[in-house]
Amino acid sequence: MDNDIAIKTENLTKAYRSFWGRKKILALDKLNIDIKKGEIFGLLGPNGSGKTTTLKLLLGLIFPTEGRAFVLGKTTNDVDVKNRIGFLPEESCFYKFLNADEILDFYGQLFRISRKERKIRIDRLIEQVGLGFARKRPLRQYSRGMLRRIGIAQALINDPDLIILDEPTSGLDPIGTRETKDLILALKERGKTVLLCSHLLSDVQDICDRVAILDKGKLQISGTIDELLSSKDVVEILIRNLSDEAIIEVETFIKEKHGEVISVKNSSGTLEGLFLKINAANISNSKTDV
Amino acid sequence: MQQILVIAKQTFKEAVRNKILFVFITLGLITICCSVFMPVVGDGREKIKIVESMCFRSITFFGTLAAILLSASSIPTDIENRVLCTITTKPVQRTNIIFGKIVGFMYIIGVLLIIMGGASYALIKFTALKHSAQGNGNLLAREKIDPHTFQITGESVRKMGNVSWIEGGGKGTSVWKFKGLHSKNRNDDLEIEADFLVESKKRFTGKIPINIKIINPYSAKVLTESIEVSRNKPGLLKIGGEFLGGSEELTIVVSPVNTGDFIGISPDSLRVFFGSKSFEYNFLKGLTIISSQFLLMVIIAVLGSTFLSLPVNILFCLFIFFCGNITDFMRDLSTVINVFEMHDHEHGISAVLKKTNVFVTFLDYVIRKPIFLLSYILPDFKNFSVGKYFVDGINIPCKTVFMSFGYAVLYAFFCLPISFVVFKRREIA
Repeated sequence: MDNDIAIKTENLTKAYRSFWGRKKILALDKLNIDIKKGEIFGLLGPNGSGKTTTLKLLLGLIFPTEGRAFVLGKTTNDVDVKNRIGFLPEESCFYKFLNADEILDFYGQLFRISRKERKIRIDRLIEQVGLGFARKRPLRQYSRGMLRRIGIAQALINDPDLIILDEPTSGLDPIGTRETKDLILALKERGKTVLLCSHLLSDVQDICDRVAILDKGKLQISGTIDELLSSKDVVEILIRNLSDEAIIEVETFIKEKHGEVISVKNSSGTLEGLFLKINAANISNSKTDV
Repeated sequence: MQQILVIAKQTFKEAVRNKILFVFITLGLITICCSVFMPVVGDGREKIKIVESMCFRSITFFGTLAAILLSASSIPTDIENRVLCTITTKPVQRTNIIFGKIVGFMYIIGVLLIIMGGASYALIKFTALKHSAQGNGNLLAREKIDPHTFQITGESVRKMGNVSWIEGGGKGTSVWKFKGLHSKNRNDDLEIEADFLVESKKRFTGKIPINIKIINPYSAKVLTESIEVSRNKPGLLKIGGEFLGGSEELTIVVSPVNTGDFIGISPDSLRVFFGSKSFEYNFLKGLTIISSQFLLMVIIAVLGSTFLSLPVNILFCLFIFFCGNITDFMRDLSTVINVFEMHDHEHGISAVLKKTNVFVTFLDYVIRKPIFLLSYILPDFKNFSVGKYFVDGINIPCKTVFMSFGYAVLYAFFCLPISFVVFKRREIA
């Protein structure tokens, strides 16, 4: 197997069977994907498309009906390779009677990380996911977003080479979403490979290098974001401070050059951008008040 | 090993913080304390018997319940809550998860055993102390001597299972030979307890007289005593330890006095006690045997939890526990059903009829054989029954402790590989 490949699947198929052993649902049908080391790969698709099934197969939680999968050069039932993998499940389910420190310590011990190192990593991760204020609180008192954050922290406790994230931003507020996306980008900068699956397309578009779209268990399309989204015959020019007369002149010029103007409108940002801007302003105001 | 301990610690913490452990301990302690208020007909020894019996029954009941409920629910709950989904993505062998859970449950059961055992010991001691002023508050751990040989001379009226019936009036006698009678204190009394089944052709008062001849083969001394035995109350005979005169052997001959009186005997019907051991040591041995039972129950519950859902697993464990306590009955039942079967000497029309009898065939294949097979496959929880030792004030032989522990380990030896294989193949979705 190519050394640059972090994940490789060959005709990976998963069929769930009924009680009597008959094939019931084909959750994944002959999936072939290669994920390169150091890239952020997004797995997209509607509910029930086979995204989570793929992740579970890669992690050895369930077993393929047909085909094979390799993770960091090893088969999925290799336990040692899990030392290099971090996983955030779709729902952050932990022992609810533990607090953030204890749960991270528990997972750290499963990775056989030394006590001293565990302490350093736990402190760093708790700060990184912004849970410093609630680190001694039992997880049963956490909100969904907070559980998501602690989930991300546990996925990173072993400083993994490959991070598999199932719906990483679900349940997070826009700030949390932005922070998570920044975190994923920072991981990429550190040379880590990230495989994430989500149905929030904007999140995926923001951070992924390559994506694959699944539907009804089948791979529909895969490639880089640019390859999939760019239209070679359409050009987009963003201009600031242009008067109405000048816009008319530009349109006339384009028509003279046999171009077609599709739409002319004021640029609009995203709601996420607006939310972050307001939040940043509030923070700076409160600092000034202090 | 580190991972096993981490999972074990986590399992223990979870039980403590869930307060399940405290519920079991509290209920157990309440039951134990209630034993003091039980009304008793008899002397102080009877009261101690009741307290001892209640204490051991409470420990066994609540310990087994805790073992079943905690062990049966842990893995299915972790799968349902998806906690295991995260744990199995870490570099942990699934066998380590099972080992960790078992060690964790044993921690929990250990704590329960220490607390309830400690309370029971204190209560038994207290009861004994309270009655010691009346002279019958001794905590007994008498050394029971097993018969070396047992034989019936004369005519045996009939034999049913391992019970032989002999008639009095010189028509039949039973002979027990005992070896290895030694005690630190030679002045200890030699106690002979005769627990026979009794029948009589005459107007039956419920009691029949029997002759007991005690022979010291070393000094050729013979002591003949006549006592009355009844159906529910064993006859008791005490003789001074000096009768042995340094001999470690003893022959006891028993026969009913009168013609028409019958006693039903088996090798265990006559019990000889000589010397005693420390009650505390005996108590610890009792707790060790009970803990072996808990270990076995935990392993069975964990085995069930690798492939069954929570409610089904709890039913499965309760079924095993219930049937494991009545294996003898199951064997007897299969023997009774066997009566319907054709005997070898039967032939002719009767044989043909029985051979073609669908009901008999049905009983044989659907009920008798499975019951018979189950009685041998299921763990025999009688091996862990210690209450009788304390009620009768008998020292538990070390052999019994090792046998019980060995039995649990042997059973675990068969169950654990099945758990590992099943859990390794289980999809954690």
